[in-house]
Amino acid sequence: MIQVEHLTKRFGEARAVDDVSFSVGRGEVVGFLGPNGAGKTTTIRVLTCFHPATDGVVRVAGYDVATHPLEVRRAIGYLPENVPLYLDMRVEEYLTYRADLKGVAKAHRRAAVAEAMERCGVTEVRRKMVGHVSRGYRQRVGLADALVARPPILILDEPTSGLDPNQRRRMKDLIRELAHEHTILFSSHILAEVADVASRILILHHGRLRADGSLDELLATAEGRTLCVTAALEPAALTELLDGLEGCGPAHVEAVDGSYARLRAPVEHGVDPRDEAFARLRARDVPLRELALERPTLESFFAQVTGAAMPGVSASEEER
Amino acid sequence: MNAARTTFRRELASYLFSPIGYVIGFLLYLFRGFEVDRLVRFANAAGLDREQFAAAYLQQPSSLILLILVPAILTMRCFAEERRTGSIEVLLTAPVRDSEIVLGKWAAAFVFFALLWLPAAVILVVAQGSGYLGLDLAVGPTVSGFVGLLLVGALLLAAGCLTSSLTDNTLLASLSSMLFALALIYGPTRLQGMTEVDPAVESDLAWWAWLQTKVLDPVVGQVHVVDHLQSWFFRGLLNTGHVVFYVAGTALLLFLTTRSLEARRWR
Repeated sequence: MIQVEHLTKRFGEARAVDDVSFSVGRGEVVGFLGPNGAGKTTTIRVLTCFHPATDGVVRVAGYDVATHPLEVRRAIGYLPENVPLYLDMRVEEYLTYRADLKGVAKAHRRAAVAEAMERCGVTEVRRKMVGHVSRGYRQRVGLADALVARPPILILDEPTSGLDPNQRRRMKDLIRELAHEHTILFSSHILAEVADVASRILILHHGRLRADGSLDELLATAEGRTLCVTAALEPAALTELLDGLEGCGPAHVEAVDGSYARLRAPVEHGVDPRDEAFARLRARDVPLRELALERPTLESFFAQVTGAAMPGVSASEEER
Repeated sequence: MNAARTTFRRELASYLFSPIGYVIGFLLYLFRGFEVDRLVRFANAAGLDREQFAAAYLQQPSSLILLILVPAILTMRCFAEERRTGSIEVLLTAPVRDSEIVLGKWAAAFVFFALLWLPAAVILVVAQGSGYLGLDLAVGPTVSGFVGLLLVGALLLAAGCLTSSLTDNTLLASLSSMLFALALIYGPTRLQGMTEVDPAVESDLAWWAWLQTKVLDPVVGQVHVVDHLQSWFFRGLLNTGHVVFYVAGTALLLFLTTRSLEARRWR
């Protein structure tokens, strides 16, 4: 549905997007990640024909954005980042206006608007002014606007930003529900959300595509698999005992608590040294409190590819 | 054309639902009332005939306000406000041609602008009907005068759309379109006054005189709004050339507005 080939977008000297290529197939839900200023919104604006590309080819629903912008825009339902709406219109009136603007035939307009309001849960505020409803409702009115002409593709820029946790969960459920009928590309800061909803993840950093794959695929290539052992032994003795485990790097003592020492060692991909470690500890009859293999999370992976490698601090927290 | 109609309806509704139009309309209505009162007394004293009365009525100060201030105020929000709030992104990513949006917005502003002239016509009709005018209204010149004023207004509204599309600052947009209106209305009058060169220095300024008579005056004569109105429209004379000038000028400015919207995308 979406093909992006060597997309570059420059603003003067600055390269907002630099030689990015990816594609999104029918029915996929793709999460678009990246720190602020990574080029997510710029890429999205090229897809929606708001900005032209400096270089590269972008096709949406089979149409080139440079030569067939109207067809492209017809195929896309777009929710921009800050959901700018006309505040002086009532919700239903606004959606009817948008449906009309998008060419929804008069005979179907009322039904289309009613359905979009129903799906997005804004029916109860349909007589209120857009400027008078809460942020959460406004976000959903924006989404209803994106849906109203029933486009095959939805592009949502930060659909959950500025929402409280309950509203965020509802928005997430809604996106998951919409995924049955639409191809969805959405950007977000909340990594857990992307991991939860998206079938594929794209990570953009400094205008370049740093990662493209499903969550499992990305985590399989991530560094950060670590063996953690807490056992009642002197640190030096414990290090020696666990030295040379298959696929393990050099261990280091992380903490000492009374007679217990906590040890961490990096582990290669595809190796699970827990059985061997347990066997060695049992052979010496060492009391054991913890034996675990920590896997990298999307957060640690995100920090790795975006260069913000501060262990313990999640990237999403840093951005806010 | 559907999108232009949709935009037109939404914009006209927003004019009609906002208080600003009514405030302007009310003030102008009040002002017109005083003007008519003063004008009738003056006409009686000076013995104006019905054509002269019509011409004098059409060029009262509130007409100037309607031409210089009102188009700038009506159009300042058209694109500048959309740009400021970001709603331009929603508008321009809808499957709609830029030209249809421009046309819809301009047409809505024009219809509302035309409505603001209504009090001027109503007062005249009422004053005539009640015998207050003391003379028969010259219908031809009055109607053609209003047509002329609306044509000038159409051009100024298009200029307002253009300045509004160039910035995201509504104040800047309205001030520059007022400046345009002032230049269009007063500029030619000033420029024509410069034709008379002092004979003593004429030889030194031969090139200037040539420039004046061969280039400047013919051009200025074509765009002389005040002359178009006073010598033609207010006398009941509809000159096709003038009508074409305003229609073409409006079309050109609207075309430039469309281009300016497109150019914004490229930045």
